[in-house]
Amino acid sequence: MNLKEKIEKHLMEVQKPSRYIGGEVGSIVKDKASTDVSFAFCFPDTYDIGMSHIGMKILYSLINSRENFRCERCYAPDVDFEKIMRENDIPLYSLESLEPVRDFDFIGFTMQYELSYTNVLNMLDLAGIPIFAKDRTSELTQIVAAGGPCVCNPEPLADFFDLFILGEGEEVNLELMELFNEMKKQGADRLEFLRKAAQIEGIYVPRFYNFSYKADGTIEKMTVTDNAPTKITKRIIKDFDNVFYPENFVVPFTEIVHDRVSVEVLRGCIRGCRFCQAGFIYRPFREKSPDTIYNETKCLCENTGYDEVSLASLSTSDHSQIDEMLTKLIDYTAAERINLSLPSLRVDNFTEELLEKIKKVRKSGLTFAAEGGTQRLRDVINKNVTEEEIMSTCKIAFEGGYSSVKLYFMMGLPTETDEDIIGIAELAQRILDLYYSIENRPKGRSPQISVSCATFVPKPFTPFQFEPQDTRAEIERKQKLLLDSVKSKKIKVSYHDSDVSQLEAVLAKGDRRLCDVVYTAWQMGCRFDSWSEHFKFGTWLEAFEKCGVDPAFYANRKAEYDEILPWDHLDYMVTKEFFIRENKTAHTAVTTPNCRQKCSGCGVNKAAGRDCFC
Amino acid sequence: MLRLRATFEKSGRAKYISHLDLNRCMLRIFRRSKLPVWYTEGFNPHPYYSFALALSLGFESSCEIMDFNITDDNMSLDVIKDRLNEVMPEGMGIVAIAPQIKKITAIAKAEYEFELKSDDVQGMYKAVEELLSAPEILIEKKTKKGIKTVDLKPDTEIVKLEIAEGAVRIAMRLPAGTKTNYNPTLFTEALKKSCEIPFEMVNIRRTGILCENNEKFS
Repeated sequence: MNLKEKIEKHLMEVQKPSRYIGGEVGSIVKDKASTDVSFAFCFPDTYDIGMSHIGMKILYSLINSRENFRCERCYAPDVDFEKIMRENDIPLYSLESLEPVRDFDFIGFTMQYELSYTNVLNMLDLAGIPIFAKDRTSELTQIVAAGGPCVCNPEPLADFFDLFILGEGEEVNLELMELFNEMKKQGADRLEFLRKAAQIEGIYVPRFYNFSYKADGTIEKMTVTDNAPTKITKRIIKDFDNVFYPENFVVPFTEIVHDRVSVEVLRGCIRGCRFCQAGFIYRPFREKSPDTIYNETKCLCENTGYDEVSLASLSTSDHSQIDEMLTKLIDYTAAERINLSLPSLRVDNFTEELLEKIKKVRKSGLTFAAEGGTQRLRDVINKNVTEEEIMSTCKIAFEGGYSSVKLYFMMGLPTETDEDIIGIAELAQRILDLYYSIENRPKGRSPQISVSCATFVPKPFTPFQFEPQDTRAEIERKQKLLLDSVKSKKIKVSYHDSDVSQLEAVLAKGDRRLCDVVYTAWQMGCRFDSWSEHFKFGTWLEAFEKCGVDPAFYANRKAEYDEILPWDHLDYMVTKEFFIRENKTAHTAVTTPNCRQKCSGCGVNKAAGRDCFC
Repeated sequence: MLRLRATFEKSGRAKYISHLDLNRCMLRIFRRSKLPVWYTEGFNPHPYYSFALALSLGFESSCEIMDFNITDDNMSLDVIKDRLNEVMPEGMGIVAIAPQIKKITAIAKAEYEFELKSDDVQGMYKAVEELLSAPEILIEKKTKKGIKTVDLKPDTEIVKLEIAEGAVRIAMRLPAGTKTNYNPTLFTEALKKSCEIPFEMVNIRRTGILCENNEKFS
């Protein structure tokens, strides 16, 4: 029985079988014999999540645009299908040619979220690939690689990967595959390849770096072998307006999380919110021109048949030509009966004209990320949003017919006091009062203010990378305080599980000693940790205990400015000096202007060799 | 306006597209084809199309039927067929396009072919014959109003019963349409109860959508 028959024999026993058989419109099936290098692009979560990821769409199309390269997709099977795979010896396979992932030259994972780490191990195991890099064959095959935001501190994964790809992949992925092709022909082995790969800018080969630790548990020093660079600098695309963008997406049969065309309008962020990792690791700020955005939108809508398009960015309204861009897009989408959705709009530059344009498109809920309950705390985190701005935007929205508003906050932020928590409830109440004070508010509808509260997770490459996270007990106390402070039934409060946030902090800030913990947790049955129905915090705590690792050391300890951090040898173009400066400024509750107003000297323009705004 | 009826194939990997997903899939097929398909005129205009019968997940078919309208009266049916076929996913394809003749309510039956795979094919064949010659074939069927016991016997027409390639191959007609719908898995469920031999039902395919007099619905 071949693999396809084996799969099909059991496919009707699982939920949403079309996720496991490929054949979607837009998928690219290449002849194995006529290509030189194969790349299995693995997403460590289910199809429904992974198929929504825009970075994977870009790199999939890009690699396949090269005649002699082949890229196929692979997602984590859901638990029902995993069971069947294990019982029937079905190895992890790619969706295009239903080929075992272990037969690919590259097995590339995108690391989007810390809580997907155990899924990587599970997928390698299902593929029949040794989980630890040191156990893999010396032959030049099965190069297990990872990219994505989490690899800005890949140390908790260091033992499992042959190499990490730092920064944007559009150029470096192809360089890596070219190198592989060349060296394979020369008959090189794995180690020889990795030595050469480490010389490519943006490639980090963890086995060439060793760490020693002080008695207090912090890093003593890092040593480098095999001539690898002491600092590994991330890659960026300089000419963003001309960067490769797919002309087609794989269109799934089953409904996925983001089931629409997404067009990336800008990369990076000018804001510098001090908790936000994305705001720093994707710098410098670069935009696509309205023409490019329009052309890519039109092309993708025509080729996929989607009737919905969404603009992707960290902050779409920061596009310098947003009016021109939206006018152009709305003309097209309205004529073609396409829905345009605009996530990531900021409160402060939300004008009446902009709202008018969005209203033409569709009327859904309005979401604002206020993040902090008081002005003092918003200044600490550099969320340059004032209460007047929030109020005036809500006023425009209410007068424009909106009756529900969703507000995002964070809890456990540095310097936070009970006053800040009570401030969240008070702010929500003032927005509600504002609604009732408006004469021409929507009639006959009950307003709703939704307050969604996440737990602050300190992340590498942010000014708050030095900060401790609140303990679980403290977070739970604050959550209760918030609930008690809300006086109206029209204000709904929801918050994240603090256990998840603590594990996220440990894995985000962890060093190599966590590899054993991740491995042990996976062995004890942890996977799909980001799914509340699968998350087993108790098992994780057991794994920490077994490995003799204290999670609080990573999550709840303040790091000194001169401490060697596990990610200090990785260069994301924003300097540590800048983060220290910003951290000090945060503690004085002083804001830093956004990049357009004034350069704050983060270092990215020097490292990238270009001005941010020219 | 052209009121059209397409007969289409759904096989291979496309058999895993559920009926709900097929709806979304067809919407995108129409959009990709850029055909002047007629949109509904309600609050939320969308291309109008309607499937005659739902097909169970995992079943193949060479005779699925979909009605839709084209606003350009001068468009040739061949052009419409080609433009749709160009943008269909693997395993799906338009077999024919013709004007709508009968009303959907004229559908009375559907014909299915399937195989029963077993280590004891001869024994399986006998078990099928026995079940078919029983005075009644009772099986519990889930309906909207709850579980009810139905007798398949009077409504089951056997078109073919043979041994081929190590399996028992059956073709049968069952009631379909707006009144009664019997799925061939009802028959194999009854078989599982009446016979001891383990078997697997494979390669299920709908081969015809018929009117009361066994004439092809068109």
